[in-house]
Amino acid sequence: MRVLVVEDERKLAQVLVAALKAEHYDVVVAVTGEDGFFRANAEVFDLVVLDLMLPGRSGLEILQALRQRRVSTPVLILTARDGLDDRVLGLDLGADDYLIKPFALPELLARIRALLRRGRPSDVLRLKAADLELDLVTRHATRGTRVLDLTIREFELLDYLLRHQGHLVSREMLAREVWKEPHRATPIDNVIDVQMTRLRKKVDVEGSPRLIHTIRGVGFVLREGEP
Amino acid sequence: MRQWWSSASIRTRLTTWYVSTMCLMLLVYASATYFAVRHEFYEQLEDQQRDGRAEVLGASRAEDRVEMQLNEILVVLVLGIPLIVALAGVGGYVLARRALEPIDHLASEARRVTAERLHERLSVPNQHDEIGRLAAVFNETLARLDSSFAQLRRFTSDASHELRTPLSVIRGIGEMGLRETRTVPEYKEAMGSMLEEVDRLTRLVDTLLRLSRADAGAVPLRRKPLDLGQLVGDAASSLAVLAEERNQQLHLDLASGVIVDADPLILREAITNVVDNAIKYSPKESAVGVRVARALNCALIRVTDEGPGIPPEHRGRIFDRFYRVDEGRSRDSGGTGLGLAIAKWAVESNGGQITFENLSRGGSAFEITLPLTSRSEGSLSVQQVNDTKGEYAS
Repeated sequence: MRVLVVEDERKLAQVLVAALKAEHYDVVVAVTGEDGFFRANAEVFDLVVLDLMLPGRSGLEILQALRQRRVSTPVLILTARDGLDDRVLGLDLGADDYLIKPFALPELLARIRALLRRGRPSDVLRLKAADLELDLVTRHATRGTRVLDLTIREFELLDYLLRHQGHLVSREMLAREVWKEPHRATPIDNVIDVQMTRLRKKVDVEGSPRLIHTIRGVGFVLREGEP
Repeated sequence: MRQWWSSASIRTRLTTWYVSTMCLMLLVYASATYFAVRHEFYEQLEDQQRDGRAEVLGASRAEDRVEMQLNEILVVLVLGIPLIVALAGVGGYVLARRALEPIDHLASEARRVTAERLHERLSVPNQHDEIGRLAAVFNETLARLDSSFAQLRRFTSDASHELRTPLSVIRGIGEMGLRETRTVPEYKEAMGSMLEEVDRLTRLVDTLLRLSRADAGAVPLRRKPLDLGQLVGDAASSLAVLAEERNQQLHLDLASGVIVDADPLILREAITNVVDNAIKYSPKESAVGVRVARALNCALIRVTDEGPGIPPEHRGRIFDRFYRVDEGRSRDSGGTGLGLAIAKWAVESNGGQITFENLSRGGSAFEITLPLTSRSEGSLSVQQVNDTKGEYAS
């Protein structure tokens, strides 16, 4: 998978490249708008990560020009301005998704995965990790032979973690996707932590390897073995 | 002419008005007097002639005399009026100056008041007259300005304090980490701790941005009729785990069919913040009550706790940004100190009000009132509140 990153802030560009390479993407960086447009136009990419505030040629202009030339590569825009206008304008001009700076890397990676997955059916009926199984039809959860007695929220939480297994999820992602809260707020963060503790007590009982790990300052990950 | 009129001072204008009115009135009065006297004289003359007492020669002489007397009166009047008007004009000009002097004084006093000296007040010479009332109104305005400036200053200093704290933590951890070579778990620990602070900063900046956007009136409201019991039940239930962790009872008493016109996301935020506060400040194993009811002309949400209540000296400011009754405690629990400020904005932007009282049996109560929609009599299909009640609880 080839990803083009158009970002003029060098430090951020470096971080993005490192994160994407760690996820085994083939990454190309453009640090100016012109270069970004030239490459996106001339080469084939599976995805473009586009900063909106670029010197010379703004991200929105690049996006518009690309779409006019019928380049249909998915574009994820990054912006520091979370004004509604910018977002709507970006999406209207043909962006596929947007993220507001400062964003969490797990979130960016999740969005990229979602964009790359798009168009392919992902109707799964069962989710699995090690000996943990989630039946989405009967809404049953089992770990080995043990049936887990989960509340609705815990089930949703486990569902989300399993869908992103092996990848970090931030509290922000959980608040938005599982709790449907559009704004970060302390109460919800506390609720997430409590629910996560409870879920872990049910899933990771003594004797079986731990699946749910907390990564301090970042979030959570469901993964076999060490985080 | 009009230009001159509007550019002239009030004093000149007053005097001009006064003098012209006086002129006009004196002229009318003088001519009326003159013609009345003249009429009287000629009538007397006619009477005398009719009586036949006067001779023909004497008659013409008498007529001359009358004419002469009348002329004298006319001269007196014509010369006298300008004199009186001039005197009155000068008097009026002096009087106007005296009457307007306090205004000049007020202006020069007001000119001294600047942002740095907003605590100064104008002197009120006589609080019952017009000038006194004007000065009093000025002083009220100054007091309001003073308090908003004070609030702004406090906010700026609080905000920079709140922003600096995580920054200095991040800096400290970074510097300590680089001082000597450490083990991988230690580095991980340090970075995790830094990221936690970054998260806190991010949340703070986000919330501040939202509040400033709200101040500018730039947050669009998506209002729609909604069942308040259901919304409150939802919000409270998702916080139920926090109460459970503290072994608290969360009592929900939710009337159904109380319909308000509000933006559900924004209103929900207010409720979440208020209920979270109640859970946080109520001691372990106590009870937190959340009630939705229909009051006389409004919808009512009442959240009660059994906490320590709020000391009277803090009452006026608990909805202020960054205001904390207990400095250390809420910071430890990760709060931004903006929860109630957000709640107040969220309620007021939906046309409601949020108030607070200490309960006599201990604890405090937050009350949110919202206007009912006219369709509140259950014409909307309302899902049973009990359906959603248990969903998130646990």
